[in-house]
Amino acid sequence: MSHPQEPLSSILRPLSTLSPPSNSRTWQSAPHPNLPLVATACSDRTVRVYSLTSFTLLHTITGGHKRSVRSVSWKPGVKGQSVLATGSFDASAGIWRRDERGVEEDFTRRRAGGDGYEDEEEDDDDYQFSCILDGHESEIKSLSWSPSGQFLATCSRDKSVWIWEELEDDNFETIAVLQEHDGDVKCVAWHPEEDLLASASYDDTVRLYKEDADDWVQVAQLNNHGMTVWWVEFEGSGMTKKNFCAQRDGLTDEQARHIELLERSGPRLATCSDDCTVRIWRREPREGAEKTSANTGIPSIIRSMAIDEDWIQEAVLPQQHERAIYSVSWSQKTGLIASAGSDGKILIYKERWKVQASNGVTAEDQDTPMTEKSPLTEWVVIAELFSAHDVFEINHVCWAARSDKGRRNDDDEVILSTGDDGEVKVWVLEEGSVIPET
Amino acid sequence: MDLDKDNANPTILNPSDLPSRHRESAVKKREDGGTGLFHDLIPQYTYLSDPFEQPVSESDSDDDSVEDIDEQEIYDLISSISDPEHPLSLGSLAVVNLPDIHILPPTSPYSSISTVLVEVTPTITHCSLATVIGLGVRVRLEQALPPRFRIDVRIKKGTHSTDEAVNKQLGDKERVAAALENGTLMGVLRKMLSTCE
Repeated sequence: MSHPQEPLSSILRPLSTLSPPSNSRTWQSAPHPNLPLVATACSDRTVRVYSLTSFTLLHTITGGHKRSVRSVSWKPGVKGQSVLATGSFDASAGIWRRDERGVEEDFTRRRAGGDGYEDEEEDDDDYQFSCILDGHESEIKSLSWSPSGQFLATCSRDKSVWIWEELEDDNFETIAVLQEHDGDVKCVAWHPEEDLLASASYDDTVRLYKEDADDWVQVAQLNNHGMTVWWVEFEGSGMTKKNFCAQRDGLTDEQARHIELLERSGPRLATCSDDCTVRIWRREPREGAEKTSANTGIPSIIRSMAIDEDWIQEAVLPQQHERAIYSVSWSQKTGLIASAGSDGKILIYKERWKVQASNGVTAEDQDTPMTEKSPLTEWVVIAELFSAHDVFEINHVCWAARSDKGRRNDDDEVILSTGDDGEVKVWVLEEGSVIPET
Repeated sequence: MDLDKDNANPTILNPSDLPSRHRESAVKKREDGGTGLFHDLIPQYTYLSDPFEQPVSESDSDDDSVEDIDEQEIYDLISSISDPEHPLSLGSLAVVNLPDIHILPPTSPYSSISTVLVEVTPTITHCSLATVIGLGVRVRLEQALPPRFRIDVRIKKGTHSTDEAVNKQLGDKERVAAALENGTLMGVLRKMLSTCE
């Protein structure tokens, strides 16, 4: 295990721990798209909703699923209420709703350390079960709403990915059943700008799908992982204005061209695997395509041929995980990546311009994609935290907006890690270094 | 579940030939159910006594004693599991063997996570129950060992026709978790593990 030569520039400081009353495994956490809430999927068949302001348990959603809740996803873009989808090992997905019009009073009224039981006294305050989505033959492993809220994708051990469309409240129609994978489908994720869906599988591949003349079809297959791919997540929208590319002064022509390439490619994709790697993928921009928007206006007969996308592996992140990596997450604010898994570590990676040898790359090697021969950027680990959940495995890690009293500006973020100990831990990334004693 | 007897006449080892410490059984059952170090942390499991009571007269630091679980102890935990087809233990059928148990220490001074690797040898190459046996071994060790151990159970290379597929299943935490919520399978596992106490 080689450690980075340079000292790590940042540390993860514990901010709070969200502890459920039972410590059975918690699988995944989903921060609410606009409220300071996080929903957690637990193996004790419940979903717990915590406040990210007070770090207390607000709601315990029970009675819906007969087996572990594996995955939770908030519907984006809903006003006045919160809509939560839950996917379970019982092969069903549930839709839950809660009126949020009085949410502000709610937060202040609640006692710290409330155990959720008080909810039962006031029914209208609770998450109401609203409908169930049946169809998968075995455990649902992941589900995800599209950014517009129009589609919900679910995936299962039955090797299929389903896309549901909510025609009106609680009326869901199955619009696609995608059976491209040869094994359990572990994770589904939507592109932030387009109706483009990615799925990761036990068959070691990642597949991407798009709608083509009313049919959802596979448009790309990513093969480089050597083992089960556990998680897939798209980069945020417009990140070149927020990440290391934002500082445009003093760039070389080559670097400027790279930023232009990234902007034409659109958000990239991160995947992580049992093979202990995190990989970054980028879509090759189309010849002559101004933007990567949908192929509107092109006759469908041509579109069918042109719909395939070319995704290339752009980078393998520094390999410092020793066991399966279960989760990887992009910060939408900074472009940093967090990863976590079976070895109990949380790693934070940063992308930066690579210092080029002065006599190195000529400006004229446009024949070879620069990403393959000599990458212009590199990823470095900036923070490494051992035993984030004591000796337990970490099933999920993600970024969320910071909402507690310590928040200094709107872009402040926290990192949420979810473990086999049942806990969700809240971390703050801070500058500073721990010099490892040797 | 109707179990076909794939191997009606397996080789059976004499109990006295099985590996042991030649002394009082190493695995002491804890009558009080207490587990020392980890008991307060995670009360729902029943762990082995972890800082395995050895003379610790010189050292008052319990940090050093956590490596005291050895291969023989792992063997003792899993050799008594019953085979799902035969009324015999995995030890006497030589499905689990002491030389095929490896304990790997933490790879970094900052980590306290050790790995237990167990390679099981199914009684014949196409034994349809290899996955169930492997699952039984994994579940037994997950229940008995402290959570700082990661447990990797594999089919010994070359002993089984579909060993890669079985290994992949046994290594998949999510599949294992889902399997343990399956009542039929749990019934089979409970029966296999009933001879362990």
